[in-house]
Amino acid sequence: MTHLSIAQKALGAEVAVRSAPYFPRKKKAITGRSIAVIVFLSICALFFCVPLYVVITTSFKTMEQIREGAMFALPNVWTLEAWDHAWNSACSGTRCEGLKVGFWNSVYILIPSLILSIGLSIITGYALALWNVKWAGPFLFVLFICAFVPFQIIMFPLISMTAAMKVYGSIWGVAIIHAILAMPVLTLIFRNYYKDIPQEIMSAAVMDSGSFWKIFFEIILPMSGNILIVVLILQITSIWNDYLIGVTFGGLGGQPMTVNLANLITISTGTVRYNDNMAAALLTAIPPLVIYFFVGKLFVQGITAGAIKG
Amino acid sequence: MSIKRFAGIAAGLMLSTASFGAMATDLVIYHSWSAPPEIAALNVIKGELEAKGHTWTDIAIPHDTGSNVNLMSLITGGQPPNVFMESNPGVYRDIAGMGLGFPLTQWFNDNAIVDKLPAAVAASISVDGEIVKVPQALHIDGMLYYNMEVAKAAGVDPAAWDSTDAMFADFQKIRDAGYAPLAVGSQPFQVGYLTHALVAAVAGPDVYKKIYGEEVDPTALDDPNFAKALETLRLFANEAGPEAQNRPWNETTNEVITGKALMQIHGDWMKGEWLGAGKVAGTDFGCIEIPGAQAVVVTVDAWGLLGGQAEDVQNAELDFASVVLDPESQAKFAAAKGSTPVRLDAPAESLDACSTEVLRILEDPAQQVQNPHNTADADWQDSIWNVVFNFWSDSSMTVEDAIAEMKDNYDTILG
Repeated sequence: MTHLSIAQKALGAEVAVRSAPYFPRKKKAITGRSIAVIVFLSICALFFCVPLYVVITTSFKTMEQIREGAMFALPNVWTLEAWDHAWNSACSGTRCEGLKVGFWNSVYILIPSLILSIGLSIITGYALALWNVKWAGPFLFVLFICAFVPFQIIMFPLISMTAAMKVYGSIWGVAIIHAILAMPVLTLIFRNYYKDIPQEIMSAAVMDSGSFWKIFFEIILPMSGNILIVVLILQITSIWNDYLIGVTFGGLGGQPMTVNLANLITISTGTVRYNDNMAAALLTAIPPLVIYFFVGKLFVQGITAGAIKG
Repeated sequence: MSIKRFAGIAAGLMLSTASFGAMATDLVIYHSWSAPPEIAALNVIKGELEAKGHTWTDIAIPHDTGSNVNLMSLITGGQPPNVFMESNPGVYRDIAGMGLGFPLTQWFNDNAIVDKLPAAVAASISVDGEIVKVPQALHIDGMLYYNMEVAKAAGVDPAAWDSTDAMFADFQKIRDAGYAPLAVGSQPFQVGYLTHALVAAVAGPDVYKKIYGEEVDPTALDDPNFAKALETLRLFANEAGPEAQNRPWNETTNEVITGKALMQIHGDWMKGEWLGAGKVAGTDFGCIEIPGAQAVVVTVDAWGLLGGQAEDVQNAELDFASVVLDPESQAKFAAAKGSTPVRLDAPAESLDACSTEVLRILEDPAQQVQNPHNTADADWQDSIWNVVFNFWSDSSMTVEDAIAEMKDNYDTILG
């Protein structure tokens, strides 16, 4: 520890992690057992990759080749036609402008929904964990129970309520419903995370005459990076992949990409264009995947930092 | 930027939705179609509606048969579409209960349309004695489509079969020629549809109405003709190899299109698949009813109109109905979608061989029945599907077993 500068010491936790005792392991020779494990894991991985392989290759095939029926064959001719069609000219109803319409709707839905749902639950979680709120225990219990109420059984009451609030059939309607439905679980996550903050910090902050909001913005929020990443990923995935809330509350113009996708692939009495369907499904799945790809590492850090473990 | 911009978008949306009520001739059309032939067909009526000075605002949400949740949520939310595609009578009862029903009997009489419709269509558009639906297109649930080239190569003529017995008698000959006689898909939906098509064809319309009608008469289950229909179903099941397991209908159709099998008996939406493969009705493929059929089952796609609106809006909705039911647009719509017009007087020269054949069959009112989704209790129909699919999959199950199970289910559900 002696070779650390004062500045490094000031970093506290960071240093503690870096200077943890390090015991180099001996390199083990590859045994039969580990080969078996690797082979087994590879087979598992392949098993899960097969459907993905079919989806990807099919999206690059022509319909003529798909009709021949060899599902696992590589495309004879690699073509981006299906991708182009799905993005630019697939029909959702009589409007044939592709998935890009729904993509932008999904983005417009995502951002206010994220702000509303995270904003609502982070404040609630903070208040419940760190302030003396009357009836906090019963309130938490009720929230916990609410987390188990399926959306479908309260759907029609919610429609009436949003209609009375004049937000039914708009992006704000969708955002409000997302915020309300995500609130129980997110509040519990935030509340449990803040519960680990030492009482002394709060006492000191109150003594410095910090108000509810001042303490939140200047002390608590800067400490919430990890958990915010976790919640952000959870919410982006669930809002992006949502179908039922978007289709129910989006009304005439606010329907997300998943509704376009469903229009594209749900065919009652027509021909099925598998290549378009696969390309469209991949296009819809890409945004959450990209998010995982970029912040996946932070996600794991956030989870292990305390919030939802145990 | 975000908050302001979204507030702007939201406000814009609300304004635009609010204005639908004010602008008399803007119609919101709710439907579940997005496939290219369906869109081409919708564009036929869209064009003609716009020619009448109205505008078409589209809302497409896919859904399967059953309760139309999205339609009901739009109505509950106070944004009901002016025109909606819906066949389920229960939905019309709900809407009428909310004071939004639009009775059309008078309008149909004034325009003398009912006589021009096939009997099964005329029956399907009424709910509780009042006409509430505008029929758009029809399909037959069990048609026999065959590959003409294969028929020639195997030396058989499906059009000459006058009974299912005659049909099965030729099967060996077709196998000897190296073709599968009959392509089937082992899926509850396909088997369920095949069953009711066979009940209508083999057991006849009386037995059919007793089993699939609004009032079920369980004595029909004991009718020897019903047993014969199930025996015929067993012969179909015998043609299902392992490859047919859970095979969708359109892949089954492709077995016939590619000449591996001679024929398929399924709903005549198969035509879309044939047309998609560039084949011509009457040249590449033939279409006939199930040989010796006593009746065919008719599925009708229909629109509902929203009542309880201002008079100019309701008039615009009636304009929509007259566009839909115009004989010319009926023919154009059917040609685009691969369906058959609902009017017997649709101009003959614009119909293909299959639609001509279907309209010929439908001229006889005694030879047609309605799709069970229109009439039968949903639980009862589901239970029939379960029994017949077990029967289909388990070759040791006898016809008597199946009938006994159906009786059991009847006692539980409707008894």
